[in-house]
Amino acid sequence: MLKFASKPQSAALAFLVAGSAWFLIGTLYGLVAALHLMAPELYNNISWLNFGRMRPIHVNTVLFGFVATTLVGCAIYYVPALLRTRLWSERLGWFSWLCWNAAVLSGPTVFPFGLQQNREYTEYLYPFKVLIMLAILTLIVNLTLTIAGRKEKTLYVSVWYAVGALIWTAGVYPIGNVMWRPQTQALPGLVDSILLWFYGHNMVGLLLTPLAIGIAYFVLPRVTRAPLYSHRLSLVGFWALVATYTQIGGHHILQAPIPNWLRTVTVVGSIMMILPVFVVLANLWLTTRGRGMKLWGDPAGRFVLAGTMWYLLVCLQGPLQSLPSVQAVTHFTNWVIGHSHIAVLGFAGFIALGGMWHMLPLVCGRKLYSARLVNLQFGLLLFGLVGFFAVLTTAGLIQGHAWATGETVYVVLPSLNVYMALRAMLGLFIIAGAAVGLYNVVMTLRHGEPLEPAALEAEPLDAARAGEVSP
Amino acid sequence: MKMTPALLIIGGLLVFWSAVYVSVILPWETMPDDKSAAWMKWTPDEAAGHDLYIRNGCSYCHSQFVRAVDWADAGAGRLAERGDYYEQEPAILGTERVGPDLSQEGGEHSDDWQRAHFINPRNTRPMSLMPSWEFLGDEKIRQLTAYVRSLGGKTAAYRVARQDKWHAAATAAWKLGVDKNVDWLHEQVPAVWRPMPNPYPATEAALQRGEKTYQTFCIGCHGPMGDGQGPAMHYLEPPPLNFTVLRRHLVDGKYIGGIFYYQVMNGITGTGMPYFKRELESEKIWDVSNYIEVRFLGYTDATLSPQGIPAAYEPAWENTFKPPSATGESK
Repeated sequence: MLKFASKPQSAALAFLVAGSAWFLIGTLYGLVAALHLMAPELYNNISWLNFGRMRPIHVNTVLFGFVATTLVGCAIYYVPALLRTRLWSERLGWFSWLCWNAAVLSGPTVFPFGLQQNREYTEYLYPFKVLIMLAILTLIVNLTLTIAGRKEKTLYVSVWYAVGALIWTAGVYPIGNVMWRPQTQALPGLVDSILLWFYGHNMVGLLLTPLAIGIAYFVLPRVTRAPLYSHRLSLVGFWALVATYTQIGGHHILQAPIPNWLRTVTVVGSIMMILPVFVVLANLWLTTRGRGMKLWGDPAGRFVLAGTMWYLLVCLQGPLQSLPSVQAVTHFTNWVIGHSHIAVLGFAGFIALGGMWHMLPLVCGRKLYSARLVNLQFGLLLFGLVGFFAVLTTAGLIQGHAWATGETVYVVLPSLNVYMALRAMLGLFIIAGAAVGLYNVVMTLRHGEPLEPAALEAEPLDAARAGEVSP
Repeated sequence: MKMTPALLIIGGLLVFWSAVYVSVILPWETMPDDKSAAWMKWTPDEAAGHDLYIRNGCSYCHSQFVRAVDWADAGAGRLAERGDYYEQEPAILGTERVGPDLSQEGGEHSDDWQRAHFINPRNTRPMSLMPSWEFLGDEKIRQLTAYVRSLGGKTAAYRVARQDKWHAAATAAWKLGVDKNVDWLHEQVPAVWRPMPNPYPATEAALQRGEKTYQTFCIGCHGPMGDGQGPAMHYLEPPPLNFTVLRRHLVDGKYIGGIFYYQVMNGITGTGMPYFKRELESEKIWDVSNYIEVRFLGYTDATLSPQGIPAAYEPAWENTFKPPSATGESK
């Protein structure tokens, strides 16, 4: 029974396919919300298309559905591959998959009825939060036992990040969702916001970021056939990430009446975040130095390379945004929406897609149906996202400066109209990219040419591992 | 340093939980859980409204804390305090402002304005991006209105009491009939403002500016013809003013600009007419007054005496409108 669930790498494949499907669904809901901001009476007074109910579907589906699902799919492939073993249990992987995707599915099926919690990223109803926790815990068990049964002694840096992401999220998730109070899943009073934004930031900082960095550490050396630049920088980047990212959620509520010392901690932490970012990027880019064209010429490598560039941009912008004088203008505006899109789709999303295109053939044993479609998806997403970032940043500056000179929120709305229209239009490119990607995944599974067994058995990261013995 | 599974898992958890201790547990343990002076307990209706606010995702567009840098919107001037959120579960501070901050919205608008606005926000705010909530039904809109009334605690209760007091007076005046209602409204404007002409010339450019302001702020209630028959009229009591009747209510047979200015500036608390002094500057209010006068009264008192030294930029403009008394019309 359920033979397909014991097939090697079938759980990883299931995560990758689901991620591609959620990408299309999640961005379609984004369009529904974006159209509302362009023309609020386009579908007026229809409860199940209402903006307040559509926005959380978009946000949760792209965060948990598209990006996190794809990243986890890559992780449960590369961890056993790097350790020269198999995933401890494919069936347990499928169980994690089922829990995780049932929770994501609850967004489009439950939120339209006005059943949600409104704390950003914690909107899923309680039973689905339990499912997410189950998925995280079973993934931890699965990866830990995979590591215990490894045939390769050395733990490559990608493995650290995969394990780190899961064990940290197992702490972040219940804290942020206040899971010990099932009745409201919140604490009374202002302190709730401190827990919420510790969580909100770390869904990106301690779930998406380490999983994406893990993929970059896997894909870039493999594509360029280059040894990892420095083992020492890997260590610094890893430990600095968990030490700094964990401290900075408070910058989301910097202007709220939180304690002053916490404001200081959170701004200092936000600036210090530049350290792990630079260290990781230096390590990755120095690894690929001199082989840039090789990277650019590989469709998957191109995605990961672009993802690291988004990472630099978003992590220069983030610390800047945490400064009180900058926030005085940017907070509450579309600037922040632009920032969150380049973080989730630009950095984590591009790397997740790059990881998927790199690993899909290794997972399913077939060559990609079309490398040109991967490049087409890259172009569509890059155009859409660069435009998104420009348009939303501009709209945010208009709002912020108008408010700062004494205009009300209402007075500024007509000035935003053209930007909201452009943003909806640019969203079409992103949706098209998602659709092209899903088509390519399906066609690869159905019609991709089989890979030679030799390619599948090849050493996953010999070249990269060579770097580890050097100091 | 060599990464082993033990170092990875134990070390990773150690660093993580130390950071959690600083950023989460320490503030959680040390932040006092106290009420602010403005805090008030919710009634069951207000709590039900809060629940609707949460479940329908209102906080994606509305924040609930006023910051030191906030200037123009309602509540600016009173900074949010920790104790404002006492017992609120969850207290949603919000991250974006597509609409205004709501933490001090209680008593800013009358209840029937809120109802008209919930049913379709364009009823009262023509440029609003807010969704229509008519589908929620009357009972839930009533609960949401109760919740909005409570926002601001005791400072809101003070404003709500003022709304209720003047609502009674304005409704009583409305029931006396059209002309007596106008007399009552004019009596509420300080005497020095009444015999005051509009000091801005009603040039074509000024009228176009006034039209834009009218369409952005006034048209939902007072309607495109200025007859008080905008889409919000169905929900408002007393109903929006029909400007055309003012032709027979000019002060001293010729003045109306000062009354318009005062009423647009301060609103008529207790009715659906909000104050606009936080979003419209002086010139915009005078321009929209001129627009209402010329378009809906067929007359303007622009630049009548008394006049001071004209502003340097003002063009040569002659007021050719004759007051109704001069054309033989009677009250």
